[in-house]
Amino acid sequence: MDYTKSEMQAATIAHMIGPGQVVIVGTGLPLVGAIMAKKSVQPSCTLIVESGLMDFNPTEIPRSVSDLRSMAHCAEALPPYRYLGFQANELLKGSKRLIGFIGGAAVDPYGNVSATCIGDYYHPKVRFPGSGGANGIASFVNTIIIMPHEKRRFVSSMSYMTSPGWVGESGRAGTGLPENRGPLAVVSDLGVMRFDERTHRMYLAGYYPSGSPEEVQANTGFDIDVSRAAVLPEPDEDEIRLIKKIDPNRIYLLK
Amino acid sequence: MGKVYQLSDAIAKFVKSGDHIAFGGFTTNRKPYAAAYEILRQGQKDFIVEAGPAGGDWDMLIGAGRVKAYINCYTANSGFTNVARRFRKAIEKGEMLFEDYSQDGSILMFHAASLGLPYVPVRFMLGSGLQDEWGISEEERKKIDKLPNEKFIIQDNPFNPGEKIMLLPVPKLDTAIIHVQIASPDGTCRILGDEFHDVDIAVAAKHTIVTCEELVSNEEIRRDPNLNTIPGFVVDAVVHAPYGAHPSQCYDYYDYDRDFLKEYDKASKTDEDFNKFLDEWAYGVKSHEEYLNKLGAVRLINNKVVPGLGFHRDMTKEGK
Repeated sequence: MDYTKSEMQAATIAHMIGPGQVVIVGTGLPLVGAIMAKKSVQPSCTLIVESGLMDFNPTEIPRSVSDLRSMAHCAEALPPYRYLGFQANELLKGSKRLIGFIGGAAVDPYGNVSATCIGDYYHPKVRFPGSGGANGIASFVNTIIIMPHEKRRFVSSMSYMTSPGWVGESGRAGTGLPENRGPLAVVSDLGVMRFDERTHRMYLAGYYPSGSPEEVQANTGFDIDVSRAAVLPEPDEDEIRLIKKIDPNRIYLLK
Repeated sequence: MGKVYQLSDAIAKFVKSGDHIAFGGFTTNRKPYAAAYEILRQGQKDFIVEAGPAGGDWDMLIGAGRVKAYINCYTANSGFTNVARRFRKAIEKGEMLFEDYSQDGSILMFHAASLGLPYVPVRFMLGSGLQDEWGISEEERKKIDKLPNEKFIIQDNPFNPGEKIMLLPVPKLDTAIIHVQIASPDGTCRILGDEFHDVDIAVAAKHTIVTCEELVSNEEIRRDPNLNTIPGFVVDAVVHAPYGAHPSQCYDYYDYDRDFLKEYDKASKTDEDFNKFLDEWAYGVKSHEEYLNKLGAVRLINNKVVPGLGFHRDMTKEGK
């Protein structure tokens, strides 16, 4: 069957969304995966975005979190502070149904993400748009991190952490952040990484049929345990057809 | 005194150099572009900017050197330019004072300002670079009277000792500029679709300028007050500026102008092309009306929202 790596990645994302979950999603491949989940593999999920649009189900793929393509196809368009209150209240109530997709420029072995700059913060080599809603999501919500699998993006340490993951080996203790929330997984174009329960360190949990654990290690800028890795299932033809239909102009799917 | 102004008069009267200022809208949605272009033409500068979720609006003013201190949470024309290029350049070259909060922080700071609260206690930004690094140091902040001396203060929750909380300062805005779909001469506003942080900044700022797609009568806008979002008494100036959010979107009215946003993406790559872009679209036209004429009637019509879809699609190509 013919499919591209980014189509495989989008399908994998869709299958990570569980029944009844409330999914915070921005743009990019997570949006393709989340729309696929809503339309087919997990219709009981609810999609929300940080601009305040609740329970959206677009007919054409949005380019931004405030796009009319979501705003005109949602249950409620709330002011963004209500979204923030909702996010905080899910934590206060101990609810586990919320899951958030975040991205960035780089991720370290503990799932901390940099989305602000590369190099010195005050005189950066490369500057990015800034936190957006990702810091709040990473602080309060269990996250799935999306990252292209390159050595320069899977880094052993970072100069500026925008969105905290497990912070370090002892987890989030002492930071003031809720200790029972954090990154669940990293989904790249080579596989799915998860975090060791004891050490909070990233390990390879699954790789795509097109690749191998060796390829993952070769493209990761730190030592990664690949001994627990299993091959991930391929999407079926219907799923690939749906993914192509969701993003026909390939705004997010790579060409 | 009436509140209906020409755009140039409203900007001249209520936007001063050095103002602590915020715009409404969200990246590529309902951004007050017509007002931003008018500020470019008139020359106000040295702004202390609470940017919120910003896009090309603030990127142009940064590129034109009008910003003294930029309080950032996110600056991009999402889906067209994923990092606003003039913003990026100004920071990489060390040309602009900048601070970073999370978007959650900025949004709550605006909302707290509208509620009249003294500060906002939050539990995010903790343990991250947003806590560790201050884009604008305490020393530098003390030189700018519009900014608080501290980016934030960390304290114990008085109701739950041992729990760390971050106190965020509340901005004291001089000026808010928002673009809405419908307003009336007394300043009453109707925002269709998501209000974003627009109501918050309009209520909080000392002066609020509203540009609108349609200026209707005070009687008409009162026929269904449930649909109205801002009372007239917090608004100083109402400006009739159809397509005043172009090239961003306006719910129920028009979609983003893809070609224009792509053109800006390309033009903002270099100083030379950026300056040419401003010469053509800001300085080279005298008014918003001239800007619309330059764009052309068909171009604007071809961005209209299709009923039922809520965005633009070429319906003449459907069902063939």
